[in-house]
Amino acid sequence: MSLPLSRQKALREWRLYFLVLPTVALVATFAYFPAASAIYHSFFEWAGGEAKQFTGLDNFRRAWHDQVLRDSLVTVSVLMVANLFKMIPAILMAVLIHRLTSDRWQYIYRALLVVPMIIPSIVTLFIWKFFFDPNFGVLNRVLDLTGLKHVLVWADQSVFHWGVFFDGVPIGWLSQPELVLPSLILWGFPWIGAVGVLIYLAGLQSISREIYEAAELDGVGPFGKFRYIELPLILTQVRLSLVLLIIATLQGYGLQLLLLTESGGPGGRGMVPGLWMYNRAFFAGEFGYACAVGMVIFVFILVLTVINNRYVRIDK
Amino acid sequence: MSATPHALSGAFRRDWPQHLIILFFVVIELFPLYMMAQVSLKDNATFIQNPWLPSAPADWRWENWLFGLRLVGPYIANTVFVAVCGTFATITCAVLGAYFFARYKMPGSGILWSALIILMLLPSVANIVPLFLLLKSLSLLNTLWALIIVGAAGGQVFNLFVLRNFIEELPKDLFEAAEMDGASHLQQIRNVVLPLSAPIIGTLAILSFLQFWNDFLFPLVVLRDKDLFTLGVGLIYLDGEYVKQWGQIMAAYFLAAIPLIILFLFTVRLFVRGLSQGAIKG
Repeated sequence: MSLPLSRQKALREWRLYFLVLPTVALVATFAYFPAASAIYHSFFEWAGGEAKQFTGLDNFRRAWHDQVLRDSLVTVSVLMVANLFKMIPAILMAVLIHRLTSDRWQYIYRALLVVPMIIPSIVTLFIWKFFFDPNFGVLNRVLDLTGLKHVLVWADQSVFHWGVFFDGVPIGWLSQPELVLPSLILWGFPWIGAVGVLIYLAGLQSISREIYEAAELDGVGPFGKFRYIELPLILTQVRLSLVLLIIATLQGYGLQLLLLTESGGPGGRGMVPGLWMYNRAFFAGEFGYACAVGMVIFVFILVLTVINNRYVRIDK
Repeated sequence: MSATPHALSGAFRRDWPQHLIILFFVVIELFPLYMMAQVSLKDNATFIQNPWLPSAPADWRWENWLFGLRLVGPYIANTVFVAVCGTFATITCAVLGAYFFARYKMPGSGILWSALIILMLLPSVANIVPLFLLLKSLSLLNTLWALIIVGAAGGQVFNLFVLRNFIEELPKDLFEAAEMDGASHLQQIRNVVLPLSAPIIGTLAILSFLQFWNDFLFPLVVLRDKDLFTLGVGLIYLDGEYVKQWGQIMAAYFLAAIPLIILFLFTVRLFVRGLSQGAIKG
């Protein structure tokens, strides 16, 4: 911990405040001021110019009845649940790599996992858009090649009756309303983020080979090892990723904007709250209402974070 | 541990089921990169005939790369400028600030710290509209400086958090000895903090650089002039504008990755080690 300071010493060291000044100035101007301004303007009808009109809670009343916003909150909840499951591969990967007996191989795999990070994330998004392309796209070709397409068509026609998959018709992943949400979930398969894996591996590092050997002597199986040895050690990191993931999902809209444009794709099926705010502000010019939508998102994040802090404790 | 020369294949034989699973995932993970590389050397007709395997070297269409370079070259230059200046500004401010919080408990530093940390909860998404208007009134709209300054402001909390924890754990004697010798605070930062925290600062700098490099939502709002486009914005316009010649587009994508490839070539050890040693404990 930093040393407590007597009053005289503090006064003598007043120059220290200069060190923190740039940070404080930056954050105050470009984070706090806009936030305050967003709260303030959410009570106004405002097109972004000088003219604005105080309308009290009108924006929030409108948001309450806004069907698009309601649907988008449902969509984002589905995505959030899906994202929870998408955390699993990275954890699995870290555990598998950690259990390897050879340090050399561990390093090789870690380095290999970092390699995809050289692709800028926007390029990854566009490559996935390309994968989803009905005619050129890799996804449809893989499904055709492996025969999985037939399985999907069969499942569609005889079991589920979705009316989505047909023989001889390329699957329009991003153009068929029913498939928009599945595509948003499928995106990024196999969902292994290098940073996540490396951070989990850091948590696992304190497990020595002896502990594994002792566990094996006691007849602990692979799942037992995960449950009793590995999981407890990475729980802090898992919880932290969970919190960050929830916040990122709730406010994210870059993925939807790129894959589906600002209208949220066919039938607006991919509309999320962040995108709706962006849409209202920069395409409809309703800045006041956009601020109110931003506040709604903020409240949701706040509630979820409070719940997280209460039930999913992070020991720093 | 089994790091003897022949252990590589021996260990492989023992753990082969795990290796198989890991390799399966690694291959899928690397698949987009492979597609990007091989499609970038084909035209659409070749690609339709033969989507999976690279075409023969004689048929490689280097003109795709030339086209891509003309297209995204200026964007890359802009992005390099933003990312380098932005990373420098972010890390400099964060080191100074972290030193302030870690070294002494000054009056008011507790309140200041909570005020900064609360920012983590504040969704940046609600800010984007007022931020846009703030930049307009500062006449920073449609400049690269806007990206640098706002990016630096946004990166403060995370970097402060990590660096403060790190600096607090440095041995106190070092600072005291430096102070005895009459070192000012800036000298202490330069001679004690920087050398000891070089690996972590390196990792943070790479993460920050990546953040600047990958951002496209904010530049999309801020930039109007085609001359100022960063990669994110440029690629979005490219996506909308052209009849898709996938080869040319993939070449452009690959070019967008090249600065990152260079960065990683030199820093991958540092980066992997930094993250693996629990640099970011959370």
